[in-house]
Amino acid sequence: MGTQRLDFAEFYREAKDECLFAVVVSVGDRDTAQDLVDEAFARAWASWRTVSRHPAPAAWVVRTALNTGISRWRRRRREVPVPDLGLVADRPAAGGAAGSSVDPRIMAALLRLPARQRQVVALRLFLDLDTAGTARVLGIAPGTVQAHLGRAMAALREDLIPTWQEENQ
Amino acid sequence: MNDDELITILREQRDKVPMNTPVEQIISRGRVVRARRRVPAVAGALGAAAAVAFAVSAALPASHPASHPAGGPGAQLAAWTVARQADGSIRVTIRELRDPAGLQHKLRADGVPASVTFTDQRNPACQGYPGGGSQSQRRHLLSSVATPGGGRNAMVIHPSALPSGTGLQIDALFQHYPGPRGSFQVGVGLVQASPQCTGS
Repeated sequence: MGTQRLDFAEFYREAKDECLFAVVVSVGDRDTAQDLVDEAFARAWASWRTVSRHPAPAAWVVRTALNTGISRWRRRRREVPVPDLGLVADRPAAGGAAGSSVDPRIMAALLRLPARQRQVVALRLFLDLDTAGTARVLGIAPGTVQAHLGRAMAALREDLIPTWQEENQ
Repeated sequence: MNDDELITILREQRDKVPMNTPVEQIISRGRVVRARRRVPAVAGALGAAAAVAFAVSAALPASHPASHPAGGPGAQLAAWTVARQADGSIRVTIRELRDPAGLQHKLRADGVPASVTFTDQRNPACQGYPGGGSQSQRRHLLSSVATPGGGRNAMVIHPSALPSGTGLQIDALFQHYPGPRGSFQVGVGLVQASPQCTGS
């Protein structure tokens, strides 16, 4: 994509699914993620002259969606009680990604990761950003990205591989 | 299974959540965004000014020193301020995300069972609000316990309105970039009071 001017419709067609999945993993809920990504793409269209020249327009969309989500979450948190964090973490992933055929064990394992690790996984693995790009999007140091990714991979291995091994026995 | 195989399996999942919104609908929403931008936004700047004005004029409070001077020569704003008011309420203003343990200790000393964190990792020992009622009833309850403080990241806590066995969970989240002076928002919610979560 680079700095070449893109056609918005073409960009949307190519990037929409990976952006949505990255945000689903980050926020843990399909419907919320869908609305956030809709809004982020709408903002991308409204600023397309700038966004089309961004080195990673899909990362711009995901970052915008996540920032919008944080703002909304904070407004809601002013108004509603904090949910039981255990329940949030253990909420059936299939419900969070309703309508998809994502492996529920994988989604549940992803949702058990701390928020920042999930964001790093979403950007590094699902959006294919490199470490430097992920660091820029999240506003953290490249070393921190690597540390989060390392911890996330270790947690996912510990969470998923025993289950798969049991199934294969 | 090595990391590469695990990554491959993880990446296979991303094609299984298709986004179905038609591009025409996105563009239509984008036009609304453009129209919205034409309205000048000044509320944020006014809010920040109010917070600074309060901080400079505040006289009482328990506070944690900021990392560096701010607000002009001779003025040093505290990272956070806790001020008990004449009516028994407690005003909390957070300007920098420093020393959450100190803020938590101060609030507890002032009779507010509280858990305070300034990272995206809240205290895992905290459990959700134990009382029943509808969401609107709980929302109403929270709005009587903690009210906006008239400035950015400022709130007024009314300890007498806290139901028995209930505490507050206060945390903050960066909106755009991390760092003690980065843009952040403070949130508050009701939780079940316990020694592990709120200290009592």
